[in-house]
Amino acid sequence: MARTQTDQSLRIAHESFLVHAGFRYLKVALLLSVAAIAAYIWHDPPGGPNGGTWLGYTLGTIGALQIAWLAWLGRRKRTYRSSIGTVRGWTSAHVYLGLSLALIATLHCAFHFGWNIHTLAYALTLAVIISGIYGVIAYARYPSLITGNRSQATREGWLADLDDINDRSIKLADTLGPDVHRVILASIDRIRIGGGVREILFGTREPERKAFEKVQAQLGETTQFMATQVRPRAEPSVSPDQMQSTVSFMAGRLAGGVDAGEQAQKLLDLLARRRDLTTRINRDIRLQALMQVWLYVHVPLTFALLAALVAHIVSVFIYW
Amino acid sequence: MEEKYRIAVIGSGPAGLSAAARAAQRGLSHVLLEAEPHLSNTIFRYQKGKFVMAEPGILPLRSPVSFAAGKREQILDIWNRESIALKVNLRARSEVAAVSGERGGFSIKLADQSVVQAEFVVLAIGLQGNIRKLGCPGEDCEVAQYQLDDPDEYNGEAIVVVGAGDAAIENALALADRNRVTIVNRRDEFDRAKAANNAAILKAIEDGRIQCFYNSGPRRVEHLPGKRPRGLLVLNTERGEVQVACDRVIARLGATPPRKFVESCGVKFPSADPTSLPAVSATYESNVPGLHIIGALAGFPLIKQAMNQGYEVVEYIQGDKVEPADEPLLRQKFAAMAGFTSVDSALALIQQRVPVLAPLTRLQLREFLLDSDLRTPAFGEVIFRRNDYTDSFYSIVGGEVAIELDPEKPSNAITLGAGEFFGEMSLISGRRRSGTVRAGHRCILIETPRRSMNKLIHSVAAVKRVVDEAFLRRAIQASVAPEHPPQAVEPLIGSATVQTFKPGEALFREGDPGDSLHLIRKGSVTVSRQIDDREIVLAYVPAGQYVGEMALISNLPRSATVTAAVAVETIRIDGTAFKKVLETEPHVRARFEANYRDRLARNVAALQEPSHGSLIRFLMSQGVGEATDVLLIDESLCVRCDHCEKACADTHGGLSRLDREAGPTFQNLHVPTSCRHCEHPHCMKDCPPDAIKRAPNGEVFISDACIGCGNCQRNCPYGVIQMGVQEDKRPSLWRWLLFGGREPGAPDEAHHHHGDTPKKAAKCDMCKDQAGGPACVRACPTGAALRASPEDFLRVARGE
Ligand SMILES: Cc1cc2nc3c(=O)[nH]c(=O)nc-3n(C[C@H](O)[C@H](O)[C@H](O)COP(=O)(O)OP(=O)(O)OC[C@H]3O[C@@H](n4cnc5c(N)ncnc54)[C@H](O)[C@@H]3O)c2cc1C
Ligand code: HEM
Ligand code: HEM
Ligand code: SF4
Ligand code: SF4
Repeated sequence: MARTQTDQSLRIAHESFLVHAGFRYLKVALLLSVAAIAAYIWHDPPGGPNGGTWLGYTLGTIGALQIAWLAWLGRRKRTYRSSIGTVRGWTSAHVYLGLSLALIATLHCAFHFGWNIHTLAYALTLAVIISGIYGVIAYARYPSLITGNRSQATREGWLADLDDINDRSIKLADTLGPDVHRVILASIDRIRIGGGVREILFGTREPERKAFEKVQAQLGETTQFMATQVRPRAEPSVSPDQMQSTVSFMAGRLAGGVDAGEQAQKLLDLLARRRDLTTRINRDIRLQALMQVWLYVHVPLTFALLAALVAHIVSVFIYW
Repeated sequence: MEEKYRIAVIGSGPAGLSAAARAAQRGLSHVLLEAEPHLSNTIFRYQKGKFVMAEPGILPLRSPVSFAAGKREQILDIWNRESIALKVNLRARSEVAAVSGERGGFSIKLADQSVVQAEFVVLAIGLQGNIRKLGCPGEDCEVAQYQLDDPDEYNGEAIVVVGAGDAAIENALALADRNRVTIVNRRDEFDRAKAANNAAILKAIEDGRIQCFYNSGPRRVEHLPGKRPRGLLVLNTERGEVQVACDRVIARLGATPPRKFVESCGVKFPSADPTSLPAVSATYESNVPGLHIIGALAGFPLIKQAMNQGYEVVEYIQGDKVEPADEPLLRQKFAAMAGFTSVDSALALIQQRVPVLAPLTRLQLREFLLDSDLRTPAFGEVIFRRNDYTDSFYSIVGGEVAIELDPEKPSNAITLGAGEFFGEMSLISGRRRSGTVRAGHRCILIETPRRSMNKLIHSVAAVKRVVDEAFLRRAIQASVAPEHPPQAVEPLIGSATVQTFKPGEALFREGDPGDSLHLIRKGSVTVSRQIDDREIVLAYVPAGQYVGEMALISNLPRSATVTAAVAVETIRIDGTAFKKVLETEPHVRARFEANYRDRLARNVAALQEPSHGSLIRFLMSQGVGEATDVLLIDESLCVRCDHCEKACADTHGGLSRLDREAGPTFQNLHVPTSCRHCEHPHCMKDCPPDAIKRAPNGEVFISDACIGCGNCQRNCPYGVIQMGVQEDKRPSLWRWLLFGGREPGAPDEAHHHHGDTPKKAAKCDMCKDQAGGPACVRACPTGAALRASPEDFLRVARGE
């Protein structure tokens, strides 16, 4: 992300959260890690290193403070009036200090793992960190892909276009006889934006849930205008294949010379354009979903981690 | 049959109504002539339910008719009742076509050819002009209308929109969602409209959403009661007569500005500038004896001022002295002046001391001073600093000031004394202050806001001449020979002229002979070269710098084309005179040569990276050429979280002033819909209470004085102003985190039900009142949002 196409042509002073302030927080995190490793190597308590030595306590405390502060980002991010640093600076520190937490936590427990609440807290920490790493990669990868796919349009504009194309194809189909009309109507009926969660992320098109619902609501409203309804989600969606079949049907008519006129050609152009449009919309939804889906893991696990951490600390003091 | 009156008042807006009411109250024979069937057409045409404000709050109202802030309907209702109670002699539907004669014997011809005689005429026709009607039989029937308040009111109707301007197109497009719309264009193009509207209407026509008749005009309109649709519009088209059945005809044909009519009455306008207004005396009398002008047409754009003048003008006509309503305000202002006795003597003193104000009429001067501040800064106090973005104008009434142009050598300050003025540079160029000004001993200054000064410049030719000349002299000296006394540049000043260029017009072209140097005094330009049929942009040059010196130094033809990016004004200095100065002044020569080498090197570098050029061109097309600060988004970093918008809304009463998604993108650089803080803000042009101001750091913001008229929204070419209601309460973050509900910064659906709270204009103020700077940039988690100033564009241009 450090060097993008934009960076090359635009040097207006701005930087990504990764390079914020000349990698200030990367340096802080490295310093912290090196100090922790040095102390760990130097420290040689009777009975071997563990969470119960003074160093163990120190590292544990540092780790717990880190977790609390990392989770605080969720709040700082929305305290728009705050002038304690910028959110970019916070994110930068969040990423680097969050990474160093993996080391701090590991050294704290001194590689003692078992089937207990302590190791649950540890595992959750790692899970949050790993989802965070995915997040950073996603933040680097998807924004440019989304821009490329958008090619200047907005989602609202797309939906308006889609609606418009449907409207016009119906009108054209009207002039071409009842069976064309039926096929076009059915094809509009089958247009689906989005799909089920699994399908979207791993299959071809699954939107982020909210985005999907919004789109569906809008599309539902606009297609109602033509007395058609978007089918419920369980219906098979229009795959490019089915889209293709509408196109081949039209192509057949064209070749068969039934209505081999200008009108049918126009209709065919419209259908091709519609296919491009739906592909783009679905791709947009998918890219946005891929860019943001990790937060739906990162944040809930953060809450689980906070609970497990409290349990760990409490249990440690009870044993004591 | 002819009628004869003492006073004929033309136009029943707040000014005319108040004048007629005062005449009625005093029992004078009078008539109030109004073109429309109702009183006060300008206010009648406000949007339904509009909240009318009574600005300025400090000014007392003096009129027999009452007026206080309230709803349009209430106000019109009160005026109707009170004018009847006062027995105002209103003649509605009486458009005045011509006025001739002089004091004691005016003859006023109405559109229906009848004539009214009067001893005095009060002209109060405002500035809105007359709405152009269809100009065919039936133009006033029930089917025809000339305004559209709310397009959502109409459903499933057949509607014909007549006109090809922005208003017609916007109406047609808005109606097309739910109605069958036909648009009638007298010509074969829509090119008078804004580019976006032009594109949108053509697309709608092509898609068949709107039907269009080109080269067509109305022949007659008929109301067919009981039929469906209830009307018929007959058109003359290229193919002969066409009948269009419709439920309504909405004509948006613009208005004829009143100037022509006013001039036909013998009244003179001081300049050809469209904003110029006729000059009137302290008793509101124009150059035609006995013909008085009041209200918006006399340059007083608010209702309360207009009403006060209505009262005063009748007193003056009757030969009675009245203390103008603003007298106490002026007295208060002058109280700070040592030896103050009366407002009149203070006014006389100012005119005698400050030559630039001498040509003003007393009324202009009062108005000017009412808007201005009288300041008595202590010795050494800073009036403004170099690089401030303020734009007010200062006249020195007494004492002196020191101007430090060179921050390195404050001792080299120039001293200005009583009678001189300063601050005209930023006023004209719209850019930062070029020097720091400090008060000297016993300094008395008049500080005048930009709008009042511009109004004066446009309405008094002598003021414009003096200010322009001073600008010329100071600008040439500052940019050509700052180290020399003014005499050194005297030959240049003699040869200099001010030139204006439209956006896209070339100052000069590659290959032209190099015969002049241009100092850019307003706007900005791009420098480009033609290489293999492609135009490559090399640089962007803002106001305050010069172009065209390269050919003069090298004695070669122009090496590049210089094009105005926005409306540009330059000071053109003759090449021969300039070369002479180069010969005689080695310092000047050395500096220009160094700059020449610098620019040459940069041009070569720029040619090697043509993508910079494309980027500059893109930014220019987005209005960045007149911007002082724009919000840009690097889309390769933007994760579409919309925290910038939420931050804006959360810190500004729940109304976001930026639309992240809208706006074009080029090479991953996105220009969202958000204020550019223009050098010469278009939004300021027509704000009745002068509520739009520029803060020292350059922020263009809207103050609480806004009356919600929406003029600024229409005038901003970038569509960044919206009308809305701000809320005081913010959603709680903890409540949202714990229980859900409305997220801080999320749009508030309740906004659509704001009840009676008046809508006001809202736009970006660059968070000038927040610690830490713009909230949008501070809230961006990835660093995608950035704000850029012209200095930054320059760096881009140079590839630094
Ligand atoms: C949308 C909008 C909102 C505004 N909101 C406010 C506000 O909230 N508060 C405020 O103080 N100001 C407001 N203003 C400004 C205010 O409306 C004007 O300053 C005021 O109306 C000027 O009064 P006037 O009497 O000079 O002219 P006008 O009110 O314009 O009246 C002129 C009258 O003359 C008539 N006329 C014109 N030509 C002829 C002719 N040849 N023969 C006969 N009659 C003729 C017209 O029909 C009209 O009735 C607003 C302006 C606009 C456009
Ligand atoms: C205030 C903070 C903390 C304190 C006081 C603390 C204390 C302790 C103590 C006393 C032990 C030793 C218990 C034993 O050996 O039976 C321990 C072990 C451990 N702690 Fe912590 N801890 C803290 C924070 C953390 C954090 C942040 C994590 C994980 C992210 C963590 C994970 C572990 C693990 C995995 C063990 C090893 C358990 C085992 O030995 O089986 N602790 N901690
Ligand atoms: C235990 C450690 C961590 C905790 C508790 C934690 C917690 C959080 C929380 C609460 C948020 C706010 C989400 C929201 O409100 O939208 C967040 C965002 C984020 N985290 Fe973490 N995080 C941790 C580690 C990491 C790590 C190691 C990385 C990266 C390597 C990371 C990367 C991010 C990113 C990129 C964001 C998004 C910022 C934004 O979009 O505003 N996190 N994290
Ligand atoms: S509101 Fe519009 S016109 Fe006014 S400064 Fe901003 S961009 Fe320029
Ligand atoms: S700020 Fe805009 S809406 Fe408000 S009074 Fe001025 S021009 Fe009208």
